[in-house]
Amino acid sequence: MAFRARRLEEAKRLSTSNLELAWWVFMRVSGVMLVFLVLGHLYTRAVLFNFHHDLTYDVVARNMSTVTWKFYNWLLLFLSILHGTNGLRYIIDDYLPSPRARVWVKVIVYTLVFLVVVFGTISLWAWNYTPVR
Amino acid sequence: MYRGREGQWAFYLHRISGIAIILFLALHVTEISSSMFGPKWFNALLKFEENPIFGLGLVAVAALVLYHALNGLRIILMDFTSWGVRLQRQLWYAVWVVYVVLGFPMLFIMLRHVFVGGE
Repeated sequence: MAFRARRLEEAKRLSTSNLELAWWVFMRVSGVMLVFLVLGHLYTRAVLFNFHHDLTYDVVARNMSTVTWKFYNWLLLFLSILHGTNGLRYIIDDYLPSPRARVWVKVIVYTLVFLVVVFGTISLWAWNYTPVR
Repeated sequence: MYRGREGQWAFYLHRISGIAIILFLALHVTEISSSMFGPKWFNALLKFEENPIFGLGLVAVAALVLYHALNGLRIILMDFTSWGVRLQRQLWYAVWVVYVVLGFPMLFIMLRHVFVGGE
């Protein structure tokens, strides 16, 4: 069960389990990392680069084949998905009173998230692209 | 603790932006990952996304991401410093100052990409 804590000491006191406390800490740590990773992603992909007109198969293929970007994107994918899914879990626990509905919504959400992560990971590691020209 | 004032808005905006961002994230990962199906499929998808609606959608998501990031840093300051909770309202206004300073140039550049750019 999620809990609302405003301070680390409070979180330690309120947490119902060590796992729940670990998630609380994870949200903060991944949050700080994501500020840099996501804003870096936005800066390189949406500010420096014309995301709307210049994005092509070749650009993506070249990027995905670079080892540095593979790791960057993979870290970004995992941290953001875990951070986001845990956030959804807090929201589901807060607003869905019926335990039955909670279980079903969680099963659906976690399944979809799992499929997205698998799809993204396969795509990232499958890339080994050399431009034709 | 917040009694419907600024902190309550900060909290709701954080949740709503969070939900919107994870929905976008799922679509975005699926879309970009589908590039592994080859140029024929992927360039057709990109052609479809040339509609400015998608460009404006990205601008909107970027705006939500920037708020979520800055307010997230505010939450961390509230959690790990001795003064953060006391100054939470002032911190929220600071979030909006940084938001405008970083967001305005970003908005300008991104809108230019959507409506002006392209070789």
